[in-house]
Amino acid sequence: MDKWECLVCGYVYDPAVGDPDGDIPPGTPFEALPDDWVCPDCGAEKDMFEKLV
Amino acid sequence: MTIVIIGNGVAGVTAARYLSEAGAEVEVYTQEAYHYYPRPRLQKFLAGEIELHELPLYPPAWYEKRGIAVHLGVEVVELDPRAKRIALAACTERGRSNGRQVPYDRLLLATGSRPFVPAIQGEDKGGVFTYRTIEDALAIKRWACPERCPEPVEGPSRRAEGAKRAVVVGCGLLGLEAARALAGLGLGVTVLERGPHPLQRQLDAEGGALMRELIEAMGIAVACNASSQAILGDGTSPPELAALPSSPPKPALSPVEGLGGKEGGLATGVLLEDGRRIEGDLILISAGVRCNVGLAQEAGLEVNRGVVVDEHLRTSADDIYAAGDVAEFRGQVYGIIPACLEQAKVAALNMLGEEVAYEGTIPSNTLQVVGIDCTSIGVIHPPEGEDYQELRKSEAGVYKKLVLKDGRLVGAILLGDRKDVAPISRLIQRGADVSCYAGRLLDDDFDWKGLL
Repeated sequence: MDKWECLVCGYVYDPAVGDPDGDIPPGTPFEALPDDWVCPDCGAEKDMFEKLV
Repeated sequence: MTIVIIGNGVAGVTAARYLSEAGAEVEVYTQEAYHYYPRPRLQKFLAGEIELHELPLYPPAWYEKRGIAVHLGVEVVELDPRAKRIALAACTERGRSNGRQVPYDRLLLATGSRPFVPAIQGEDKGGVFTYRTIEDALAIKRWACPERCPEPVEGPSRRAEGAKRAVVVGCGLLGLEAARALAGLGLGVTVLERGPHPLQRQLDAEGGALMRELIEAMGIAVACNASSQAILGDGTSPPELAALPSSPPKPALSPVEGLGGKEGGLATGVLLEDGRRIEGDLILISAGVRCNVGLAQEAGLEVNRGVVVDEHLRTSADDIYAAGDVAEFRGQVYGIIPACLEQAKVAALNMLGEEVAYEGTIPSNTLQVVGIDCTSIGVIHPPEGEDYQELRKSEAGVYKKLVLKDGRLVGAILLGDRKDVAPISRLIQRGADVSCYAGRLLDDDFDWKGLL
């Protein structure tokens, strides 16, 4: 699964880790995050993320 | 269509990204000598956790790939809304002036804000700083501990031995985070707060008292009801500034530090209005910010505290938009990243010809760097006399406050516990009706996630 980086603050969403504080369990692909999920570090919305290659 | 953006902070870069994705030609002008960097990361740099080169978020290729031309170190000195062009001043990187005029079809003002320096006697002494940019952080670090300065020291480090004690004037988010970074560098730190408790904007009295305990437990002293009257000095004559002929001019240094070394000597502490003296050889003034409205004001745009924008982020001049810390929407200047992001997006879409309305942003702050879990969202100081309901609970180092209006969740303070931050934030964003659970909302095992 791909990691995605927040283009605002540099936070990297790692599906293997999920986002425990945001109630996102490990193993959740970025695409499956809820629409109103936001960057845990800066509050940016999903469309501010870019896939890391 | 040529779109010119003035400023490369969160709002400027975010708008540039949306605009370039839609195929617009984007030119960004900024006085900063560095590509976009997230300001919250400056703390990590100041504390020595990351290096200077790790601050800018994207490599130059990121901009090139998107067709965004970023002009670093360039000051825009004039805006002519009728002729639809801007005039550039000296290129600080090369130290020369060209006065070039740049035409635009649409313009975005994303000039942000600058530190506010209150009238305190002696603020021109050496060792007094403000804190907003990479240059500020570099200057502070060079003063605090030259040996850990990440670059070969070009300019004068007037204290080879570094600083021992810091006084941070202002106990807001930025002041606290700077205090924590300075403590991490080994300095003793005292934070001064004019009001009765830290984080006046984010916390109420009860949460503020707990916050104070948590900060002090980290070894940082907090002085409340502390209004600064004067910066005390050692009365020395200008330090060895003049004896460094090889030092290049440092126009990028924080303006306050740049004034240092005049007649005032070096700072030795702060005198408070009630007579208390707080010792320190590094004084960091973190007393809020002011919008950079100069260009807009001179161009005749409508300006209050910020540049006034409508719901389409349009200013009072044709084809000029504003977003981020410089924009004032319905009387409010937000100064928080989520608002910068939303405004930049809406401004970009409207600049591209779409009719998209901005509805305001719910203020939300999460303090992380200080190492204390503190979140403040939405309405936390409800106006008296209106129909708000406040629920509070304080025990064992945790403080929770929920604010309801007509049964809907509109605000929260969550201090010392971040377990339910995400679901509560989302419910506030949605304005969820929680009235039927009101009696149980503060229970530790209340299932917030079940409400989503």
